[in-house]
Amino acid sequence: MRNFTRIYLLVIFAIAGIAAFTSCNSNDDDGTPDIEIPGITFDGDIDCCSAEEALQVYKFLQTVKILPELSLSIDGKYDITAYAAAGGFHTGYNEIFFVATKKISGNYIKNFEISDLTPLMHMVKMDMYHSTPVGAVESFDSSILAVKRGWVSYIMSSSDGGTWALAYNAKVLGTTGETGPIDITVNALPEGQAWVKSFKVGDDTYYLSIVNPTNWKTGTNAATAYVSKKSAKATTPYALAAERFTIEIDPRMPDMGNHTSPDNTALTRQDDGSNRGTINLTMTGLWRIHLTVKDAEGNVVAGGDDLSDGYSSLFWDVTI
Amino acid sequence: MVSLLIISTLLTTAADTTVARELTVDEVVIVSTASQGGRRAVKGQAASIDEHIGNLRNVAMVRRGSYAWEPVVNNMPTERLSTTIDGMKIFYACTDKMDPVTSYVESGNLQTISLNSGLDGNPQATGNIGGSLDLRLRKAGFDADPLRVNLSAGHEWNGHVQVYGADAALSGHRAYANIGAFYRQAENYKVGGGERLQFSQFHKVNVFSNLGFRLTDNDALEATFIFDRATDVGYPALNMDVGLARGIITSLSVKHLFGWASWETKVYYNHITHEMDDTQRPDVEIHMDMPGRSRTAGLYSLLTASRKRHDLALNYDLYHNRRFADMTMYPGGAAPMYMVTWPDVATLNTGLALTDNIGLTENQQVRLSAKVAWQHQRLDNEEGYHALKVFFPAMTDAYYQTTGRVAASYRVQLGGLQLSAGAGWGSRAPTVTEAYGYYLNNTFDQFDYIGNPHLKNESAFELNAALKWRVGAALQVGVDGSAFRFADYIIGHLEERISPMTVGAEGVKVYGNISRATIANASATAEWQPLKWLNLNGKLSIGSGRDADNDPLPLIAPLGWQTQVGLNHGQWQAQVVLRGNGRQSHFAAKYGETETPAWTVCDLSALWQRPIGDKRLTVRAGIENLLDRRYATYADWNEIPQKGRNVFVNLTVEW
Repeated sequence: MRNFTRIYLLVIFAIAGIAAFTSCNSNDDDGTPDIEIPGITFDGDIDCCSAEEALQVYKFLQTVKILPELSLSIDGKYDITAYAAAGGFHTGYNEIFFVATKKISGNYIKNFEISDLTPLMHMVKMDMYHSTPVGAVESFDSSILAVKRGWVSYIMSSSDGGTWALAYNAKVLGTTGETGPIDITVNALPEGQAWVKSFKVGDDTYYLSIVNPTNWKTGTNAATAYVSKKSAKATTPYALAAERFTIEIDPRMPDMGNHTSPDNTALTRQDDGSNRGTINLTMTGLWRIHLTVKDAEGNVVAGGDDLSDGYSSLFWDVTI
Repeated sequence: MVSLLIISTLLTTAADTTVARELTVDEVVIVSTASQGGRRAVKGQAASIDEHIGNLRNVAMVRRGSYAWEPVVNNMPTERLSTTIDGMKIFYACTDKMDPVTSYVESGNLQTISLNSGLDGNPQATGNIGGSLDLRLRKAGFDADPLRVNLSAGHEWNGHVQVYGADAALSGHRAYANIGAFYRQAENYKVGGGERLQFSQFHKVNVFSNLGFRLTDNDALEATFIFDRATDVGYPALNMDVGLARGIITSLSVKHLFGWASWETKVYYNHITHEMDDTQRPDVEIHMDMPGRSRTAGLYSLLTASRKRHDLALNYDLYHNRRFADMTMYPGGAAPMYMVTWPDVATLNTGLALTDNIGLTENQQVRLSAKVAWQHQRLDNEEGYHALKVFFPAMTDAYYQTTGRVAASYRVQLGGLQLSAGAGWGSRAPTVTEAYGYYLNNTFDQFDYIGNPHLKNESAFELNAALKWRVGAALQVGVDGSAFRFADYIIGHLEERISPMTVGAEGVKVYGNISRATIANASATAEWQPLKWLNLNGKLSIGSGRDADNDPLPLIAPLGWQTQVGLNHGQWQAQVVLRGNGRQSHFAAKYGETETPAWTVCDLSALWQRPIGDKRLTVRAGIENLLDRRYATYADWNEIPQKGRNVFVNLTVEW
């Protein structure tokens, strides 16, 4: 019996060895390239990504940077890891990406949920708390379910006067976990960048967040923004406004005698809750995008006023 | 007969650059080993290339400073002209036209400058509606004088202009060589009345060499190298100066002689680097860097043949030009602003040209010329392409055009009367600036210009005629005129919905085609030599340009006149010139032009020549603008005043 087991194991190893050797051959004819990702064992776990899917996720994660403080371990079995484009936060719109991995294999879990993403500012002097606009955490796109994306638009930076914390809940394969409020740092944007602005309609406060404007280039650019409404309870994250606002844009270069570009289109409300339009930029440099916000009936509700220079006082600053 | 003789001596003498006088060709001679014939500048070889070109018929010079003037032929500037250097294509690198290609050579590099007026261009010319200039390089040729040396020095008191040049020509049966080095500099000049014009200085160095090797009795190899570098060039008419304008011009050609024909094939490459500079200017609103570069590689193959009554030239040419320019502006404290102003436009152009001079009878000649060219353009800079696409969403990054020209002229000599008449049709493709330029500020009308990639080719129909009448032995009078009727004339159109970029600009113009335009020129001349030592010359000229609404076009010459009294005595020559323009009453207000008042100035000059041993000394001296009048011509950009009184002395020693 012992001999039989030994022979059996020998045969198995030999086959595995041959298989491993041949699959290393780059001229392999069967067309399935051998995928190896550091830290991931592919063990056929149906909860986890196939090698091809995992590679896609892995490649995407190479383009962003880990946020170590926002990691979460659930039941000692699963790890949630958060990422951001620059590995930190700044005022205005920030995207946060989440992946869940199985501790045992390191592989990405196919699907999971992140909810209640809750940023909270503690204003130290007044000992008051408030939140900031956030977007729901959803799949990155329909083909990569294993990466979730959410966003937070910080309306101010961390300072001596106020500190930010972030919390979220996760549900992985039926098991839930939650972080407590985790202290984070929100950096101020450099000079010439102002990506979140507010306006009031009656007693309601709204926030206008422009999405990733540093991706813009000279030429025609798709522009996306979100309009969020301050919650009745200030510590509740500010969700997207229910009102269908239209944001008219007038990009100007203050350093060039308020030079502008033609054929910009207003950012109109889409079914996914975002506002989308087109912005044309004739060169790089500082662009001050003057805004006029209209409600669904076309009434101007914010901006559109004429300052002494003739432009709206409500604006984003974007330097590309 | 004459041409046969020339062809046969092509390889064996220095007369390489003397061509049979064609019907429509005008020429200025810069140097000539045989000191005879041809017009030349009163300042001699030391005159700048711009002064030499200004001596051509129907040529005016647009002046933005003391340096790099832009030739205007038949009231048409660069866009409607072809300029070649010994048949080589070369294109300027400055988006603001601060460097017409004629600025990348020196007078001392050249033998002659020839101008084909109108659509009857030289074989390598493409897009020449107004005319084609060919700058012919100085070549000693085989079996000429073994060694010729030419040293010259010049000084002009107004602006402390200094000119130094040295060149040598060596010639043998198997090889020849021309080498030369030139230096030219000027400080700010004084305008009439004594005020000094700031930023009118320049410095320039130039070296050149032409080498020829005889491979067999009937084959020769020629190589050309020119390095030209101008620095610290002021442009008083503009808001910026130039830190560096550098041209490197190279070519290699082979010539083969048949019994009755010659065949020349040349490959060439030139590279222009241009850097504007605003750091010397006070009160600069926003500092900016504006470099540009232009590289051209090309070849032509020219077969010339003389058979019976025909003088034929068949030319194939191909060139590839790349032009890129950008602009970075530095607002104090804020991020730099960057734009691509010429989006790395790669132009591949190829053409086939044929000319034939036919001697019908002893006194009748016909000349026919035709060319067809095809070009492909691609925008290689993504950023520039996407920027332009904001204005032209339907544009693509590649275009092609086909252009062509045909011209015919007839000349008859009836006793003392010479009559000629010609007609032609031709088209040109839009220039890089007209098609793809991006926010190019034009200080002439204070508008920013944006190119239009959807432009149609511009075309023109030309008629010309000339009459010369010799009345007795001493008097000759002549009149000549030409008229161009354009279709799809390219000019800037105000585009109200686009905001200007340049601080202080009036608005934005986008190039467009207007259905038609007319440009016409006429001149009358008289030469009278009542005595052996006295000659009198008079000339009147006028231009007219109208757009489709019959409004005046810009930069059209008003009534101009010149009278000249020349005296000869032994080793002395002297002349008095009175020249002037009438008031430019038909100025193009619609295109931002302002009225230029009338002016008259008087120039004096003298030449004295004497042999010293085996050397020949020539002294040229004169006073320009004797009465120190303050004036500007219609072609002075932003009406910058011309030089006030100026005394010059040029010395040349040759042996």
